[in-house]
Amino acid sequence: MNVDVNAIFQIAGIGIIIAMIHTVLKQMGKEDMAHWVTVIGFVVVLFMVVNMLDNLFKEIKTIFLFQ
Amino acid sequence: MRTPGPSSRAGSLGEEADEQAEGAADSRARMQTGKGRGYGGAAMLKLIGAALVLLSGALFGYFQAGQLAARPRQLNDLIRALQRLETEIVYGFTPLPEALERIGAASPDPVGQLFRSAAAKLAESRGRPVHQIWQDTLSQGWRHTAMKLPEREALRQLGFTLGLSDREDQAKHLKLCMLQLEAEERLARDEQGKYERMWRSLGLLLGALVVILMY
Repeated sequence: MNVDVNAIFQIAGIGIIIAMIHTVLKQMGKEDMAHWVTVIGFVVVLFMVVNMLDNLFKEIKTIFLFQ
Repeated sequence: MRTPGPSSRAGSLGEEADEQAEGAADSRARMQTGKGRGYGGAAMLKLIGAALVLLSGALFGYFQAGQLAARPRQLNDLIRALQRLETEIVYGFTPLPEALERIGAASPDPVGQLFRSAAAKLAESRGRPVHQIWQDTLSQGWRHTAMKLPEREALRQLGFTLGLSDREDQAKHLKLCMLQLEAEERLARDEQGKYERMWRSLGLLLGALVVILMY
């Protein structure tokens, strides 16, 4: 349970920081770089979520398939 | 006989290593004595590392902003130094090493250092052409300035005529170089206004992002 909460906080923090970087870059007129930063942040978060989903499916497999 | 600089650095490194070894031993001891206290030591270490990463990110941003702010100032110094050089050549009839030496003494530091080292090289090695010496000076001293490639190219072009042709020709080339540098200075001021504040906040934000990613 503890680990889960930490992961959620981490993802929220990444989101906030990426949003701030996006705002700063957009204000200074580098909109292409701002969009790239957003995309990279999205990919990183996606990787973390995919890892967690992988863990979840493995857990389900061990429960139901008696490995 | 060891110089004070390296010995003191080695001493500080040794101290750091000692501290790290002590910290590791300490945390291991805590791990053995009680699980909760060992976890606390690791968290402390993590916190210190996070603070260091954050600090270095902020310092990187400030450094970039400082470079951006220093570039128009140094370009201005360079333009003034070239104006003095033109005066020395056209009205003062001064030989080139002496003129460079005087200008180097009068200009503020990164630019003055460039002219002084050029004068020193010119004085010690007779026989080599001026443009080679100028080129060497530029490629060695350029790292210490905040200036970029276009102004370096303009100065390099200037080096081919410096001390070679008659006064009017040199004055013309100096004028041309100054015009280019002024255009670059205007561009650099624009860039400073746009990107200085961006770098200040961006460095801190990047540090925070790395901290959150690795925490």
